[in-house]
Formats: sequence, structure tokens, C-alpha cells
Amino acid sequence: MLSNIYDMGFISYDVNRYSPKQMVIIPLILLILALASLGYMMATTGMPVKPGLDFSGGTAVTLFTTDTDTQMEEVFAGYPLISITGGINNGKYLKFGPMSDDQLQSLAVLINENYPDAKIDQIGATFGQALQQQAILALIFSFIGMSLVVFIAFRTFVPAAAVVLSAFADIVMTAAAMNLVGIDLSLPTTAALLMLIGYSVDSDILLTMRTLKRQGKLEDKLAGAFRTGIIMTTTTLAAIVAMWVVAYFGQIIVIWEIATVLIIGLVIDMMNTWLTNAGIIKWYLLRRGER
Amino acid sequence: MSRKKDKNSTKSESPQIAPASKSAVAAKPAADQAPAPAAPPKKSPAPSAAAPEKKPIDWIAILKNWQVALVIILVAASIVAINPHFENGEFTTNLQFGLDLQTGTWLQMEFQSEVVAFQTDLTTAQFITNLQKNLDAEIYLVGDNRLEIRQLVPEDQLRQIFTESGGTLTSYEVGVSRETAEQVKTILENKLNGLGTKNANVNPLIGFDGVAHYIRVELAGVSLAEAKDIVGKQGKFEIRIHTTGNETEHVLYGDTITSVGIPSQEPPGSNSWGVSFTLSDQGADQFRQAAIQYGAVTNPDSHRLDMLLDDVVVYSAPLSPDLATKLQTEPIRQLFASTGSGDAGLQSAKNLEIHLRAGALPVDVVVAGAGYTPANFSDYYKLMVVIAGMLALVAVGLVIFYRYREPTIVLPMIATNIAEIIILLGFATFIQQLDLAAIAGLIAVLGTGIDQLVVITDEILHEGKVPSPTLYQKRLTRALGIIMISAATVVIAMLPLALLDLSSLRGFAIITILGVLIGVLITRPAYGKIIMGILSR
Repeated sequence: MLSNIYDMGFISYDVNRYSPKQMVIIPLILLILALASLGYMMATTGMPVKPGLDFSGGTAVTLFTTDTDTQMEEVFAGYPLISITGGINNGKYLKFGPMSDDQLQSLAVLINENYPDAKIDQIGATFGQALQQQAILALIFSFIGMSLVVFIAFRTFVPAAAVVLSAFADIVMTAAAMNLVGIDLSLPTTAALLMLIGYSVDSDILLTMRTLKRQGKLEDKLAGAFRTGIIMTTTTLAAIVAMWVVAYFGQIIVIWEIATVLIIGLVIDMMNTWLTNAGIIKWYLLRRGER
Repeated sequence: MSRKKDKNSTKSESPQIAPASKSAVAAKPAADQAPAPAAPPKKSPAPSAAAPEKKPIDWIAILKNWQVALVIILVAASIVAINPHFENGEFTTNLQFGLDLQTGTWLQMEFQSEVVAFQTDLTTAQFITNLQKNLDAEIYLVGDNRLEIRQLVPEDQLRQIFTESGGTLTSYEVGVSRETAEQVKTILENKLNGLGTKNANVNPLIGFDGVAHYIRVELAGVSLAEAKDIVGKQGKFEIRIHTTGNETEHVLYGDTITSVGIPSQEPPGSNSWGVSFTLSDQGADQFRQAAIQYGAVTNPDSHRLDMLLDDVVVYSAPLSPDLATKLQTEPIRQLFASTGSGDAGLQSAKNLEIHLRAGALPVDVVVAGAGYTPANFSDYYKLMVVIAGMLALVAVGLVIFYRYREPTIVLPMIATNIAEIIILLGFATFIQQLDLAAIAGLIAVLGTGIDQLVVITDEILHEGKVPSPTLYQKRLTRALGIIMISAATVVIAMLPLALLDLSSLRGFAIITILGVLIGVLITRPAYGKIIMGILSR
């Protein structure tokens, strides 16, 4: 059967080489750091991740122009312009702060005159808050729902808790990474975090099912699960990277943000599945006397 | 984790890790040349790898599996539903696109109204009467002890007013009842249709408790400034009186109507419906004078009164004998327009109420959010999405091929994935608009889909090839077990999003859930059968 665990072809990591303690220590430190950084953000700004325009309220304008930033600042003098970010292909992304209905209406007219092909999105401040509350609720409910399914499916505490913990670590670390990279929490990135819950448990469940509910040597089962799991995550990563490339060169911010969060999250998920979750499962099975 | 890409070592060792594909890999050069023994079952052809010295893959037997046949039928049906075709030289489909993939404007409006629950020791009627005295707003009873108050009053203030009126406020939520929300929807739709707007979508976002907080209007092909104008604009309401023959004369305009009631039965309980409305003093005078001048008070039946909205007659009836008599002596402010009995009468009463309001909404709304996507963006986004999807498929194909090195595994896998997407799109034409978020959901489905196909494949290949179909079936069942748990978690994780009214993420959640269900129930079991058929040759 399986003789060489380096055969994944992508990553040379021997899931059997290290002791459970060694496996868990790195993700544990990272998790604590991530929690600390989110806690710090929470204490200083009131939100663990910087809310984007969807949640804080404001107006976003996307347009293609050869005008310089200064020229655009002149055009929009008198409106609460917060920032202009530019990408390739002359794509510009303008952010405005909250405005009254009348002011927004005149801004819409102004944009129509100067940049008839601009995309406009406006979110009122209270609406943004309502959206933010719902997004947070959705994240919490999703997480609880996922945990319930996992606990019902495995009916043993340690393995189920390991799956839930590594999904939790995925979300927390990805959120901390978003702060580092400078991606705001918006509707699309909330969606990405939710997607991550799904992707995260996929490989965790595979690992748990293969090691827990099957006969054979633990070493072989772990290695087999690792081989399948890594290929799963790599194919997903390949699809998302393709999406990221297109979104980056095509300046589709929504998809670019989703893809970036997912790429970060999937890499973190590999670590959490094959260090955190695998470590805990190994410890659990060794303690139960399996070899 | 370190990355090491060493093609040579992988290649030389791959037979060791995957004994099942070992012989197939060895037979490959010949296999590539061999013609397919039977028509491949999928759109994306799975070329046969049947080497001459081997038994050919029995495609007929594979097709006889109901799971496989079902997938093929559903793919065909979905293509019919999507209906890709050329219209005036342009490629179009039946897919409905959301407003970031289609030119137009969306407006999300918040109702300036609240639905509250109360408790009182008084009778409900008495309590409402008291409340009406203390609160200058339209109040309607919705359900047993819930009220809709059509004016935004802060909770604290309302709590105090309730106490003063002899009751207690037990819940408070900004929004309107389902019925009112539906009415607002009808009014907006009428207005938008009347203005010839091609493609208008009006959706109240109704929560679990039946309270709608927002209403979302989507207008294809309309700019943001224009859309705000349309939604805010009122229609022209007029009452005219028949003089001689079909000639009519102006009586009054809608601005003299001070209030409009909701449909009611007159007398109560008679099942004979109508709408009451009140005229201003000036309006009542004009009404009386016209009725006297043209002889309607003496001969009501030959001088009918017409109600017109934007110059279209929406209601026409004579004065009742009773009203005709009364008008001879004094102006009447309170009028009642009866519309008939039964359900038909109720429906006409509802329509008339809307017309009397001249397109004004029964509840104030403020714009909570809005957006506009111009034509160049929507076309561009669509193109980019297609490119991204193609690239993603190619990337997935390459990785899978790198891992299995076996076209007879990789092609069915990709074909299954494509079939999944096509079926999902087919379903989507009926229930869900595609916007960028829904596209993200599509990509999520593609990702988990391929994940789970890998699980199935590895499970069936596990421990190598066996001649026994029952053993394969056992392995497939085991793989489907793993998949079911994954699918259940994803569905549960997405459920809150599908149910909450975060409108723009709802599409994402619905597409993801639908995709996962199609996957676990239809396409992935079929893939299992295909791969079993291919391996057991």
C-alpha cells in the first residue's frame, strides 16, 4: 500500500513525524496572537475587523478614467470624499462618507455629467448598522449550526471539538490577517468567511471520518487522509487563485476581496487541519491506545 | 509548511501510492488512440481509455444507472431552461441577472412606521380609541394585539403614550405588516408599469415575524437620479362627472382628498365592500356644486361620476339616492365608494384604495441604500465572470490531472462538475437572480464539488482495484457518508444568510445551498456510479 508519504507532490510534510504537542504548538501561538490582535482592534475601534462601506455607511463610486486624483478631488469638492484608490487599467475606486438624500441626489447627477459610466453604491449609516448586526448574527448562527451538525455527526466530544476548534481558529486567524492586509469586513468578505466555515469543515470531517471510523494503522490512516485532504484544498485553492487573478486584472473589487480572503483562509485552514485538528485526533487516538 | 515541487520523483513514485491507476497509466499510450466504443454520456466528452487488451468501458451499463440517467436528463432540461440563443445577433439566455450584472438601479427603502404589540385591560377598541387621542398617526390593528403605527415614533416615546392610554407596549419593531408591505409593492409596481419601465422588481424584505423593515426596488435600464424621481412621484387623480352622453366635466383633483380608509364592509358584516375617503371643505363644496349644476342630485343614474388616475378611468359609479338627497342640502365630506360584494368586491376595493391615494405610499419611506451599475460595467463583469469560471475549471482540471494522471478519472470529474453548474444554473433561472454574490456562491459550489469528487475517487481507489462490485458499492456508500456530513454543515452554515434579509447575500446563500443539495443528491452519487463503472472494467 502506501509507502512514501512525500508523494503528495505538492507539499513535503510528514503528518506522522511530529508528536501531537509539537503539532499543536505553532497554531496555538498563532491563535493566541490572532485573538489578541482582534481584541486590541475591538478595544480601540469597537469592532474586531474594520467595517467597510457596507457596514459603516457611505457611497462608493467605481469608474474608469484617465483623470488624475487631484482632478477628481476638484470635481468632487464639496462632497465628503474620503479616499481614491486606483488600480490598473485606469480603474478608480472612490469612497465618500455619509450624505443627506439631497446631497446624494446632486452627487448622482454630478457623476452622471462627468463620468456617465460610473458605478455607484450607497449605503445609509443606519442601514449599514443593521446590515452589520445581521452579518454578525449570520456568522454566529452559522458557526453554532455547523458545530451542532459536527457534534451530532461524531457524537464523541474530543474529535467534534477538534473540528469546531479548527474552524474557529480558521475564522479568527483569517479575520486577523484581514486587518493586516487591510481588507475591510463588508458583505462580500462576510460571505467569504462563511464560505470558509464550509471549506474548513470539509477537510476536517474527512480527517476525522478516516481516522476515527475505520480499521487500520493510525499512521496509514493519517497519511491517507492527508493525501486526500491536501488535494481537496489544493484544487479549491487553484480555482480561487484563478478567480483572484481575473478579479485583480479585471478590477472586480467584490470578487477580488472574496478571493483574497479565501486564499488566506484556505492556507490557514491547511495548517489548522493538519496541525491543530490532526494533532488533537492523534493525541486522542494514542491516548485511547491505538497505534 | 514548505513547498516542494519535484515532478520527476512524483512521477516515478505515483504508481506506488495509487495502485489502482498503475495499470491504466501503463496502458495509456495505446488508450489515447483508441476510439470510444460508445457515445460518451456527457457534453464534455470523456474519451475512452479502453485499451485494446482490456475490456472496454461499458458505457451502456453506466448509463443504465438511474443516477447517471437523471443527471443527463437534468442537464438537458437545464440547457432548455437556460435557453442560450442569439437574438438580434446578440447572445442571450434566460438567466436573470442581478443589478451588478445588468444595467440599472436599486433602491432600498426603509419604512417610517412601526409594528408594536400591546397588552391592555381595556377592550381593544377602547384602547385604540384612547391611543388615537394621544397619538396623531394612522393606527391599524394587525393580528390580535399588534398595531401598525404609520409614523416613526421612538420606542421610549411610544411606551409612554401607551401607558397614558391604559396599556403597555410589549414589543416594538420598525417596519410595516405584511399586508401593508404588499400594498406598497402593488402601488410601486403600478407606478413603474405606468411609466413604461421595462423591468421593475419590487420586493419587500419580510422578517420571520411578518414585519417588513425594508422594501427593495430594482429598475433595469434606469439611472439613479431618474429612479429616485420615479419612486417619489405621485400620479394625477381626478374626479369627473358625466354631463350629456359621454361628455364629462372636471369636478376635483386628488389634492382635495384628505384621507383614504382601508377597504371595509358597509354596512359592517354585509360582505359588500368599498373604500371610504374624506374631502377637504373646498373639495366637498366643489363636489356638491358639480352634482347640483349637472343634475346628478336629481337624476343620479344618467350623471355618473368617474375617477381617473393619470387620465385613465379607474372607477365609475352614480351617486347613491341617499347621497343625492343629502347633497341637495349640504356639502358632504365623508364619502364611500362601494365596489361590490365578495372577494371580487374586496379586490376592487383594494385597487381603488391605491388609486385614491394617487400612487402616494400609505407609509413614508426613506432611502436606506442605493446603487447604479452602468451598461459598460455589467457587460464587462459578465465577461470577466465567464473568464474567471473557465480559468477556475482549467486550474481545477490541471491539479486533478497532476494528482491522478488518468483521463478516465479526470474527465468524468470535470464533466460532473460542469453538469453540476449547468443544473444549478437551470434551477436558478426559476428562483434566483444572479448577481456577483451569487456568482461567488457558484464558485464556492464548484470548489466544494470538486473536493467531494476527490473524496469519492480516493475512497473508491483506496486499497487498490478489486474485482468485486459489492466492495466498490460499500466504498461509495462510505464516501457518500463523509460527503453528507460536509454537505449538512455547509447547508446549516448558509441557512441563516438565506433566511435573514441581508438581501445581497441571500443570493449567495441560496445558490450555495441549492448547489450543495444538487451535488449530494444528484450529481455526486452519479459520479460514484460512473467511476465504479470505469474502474470495474
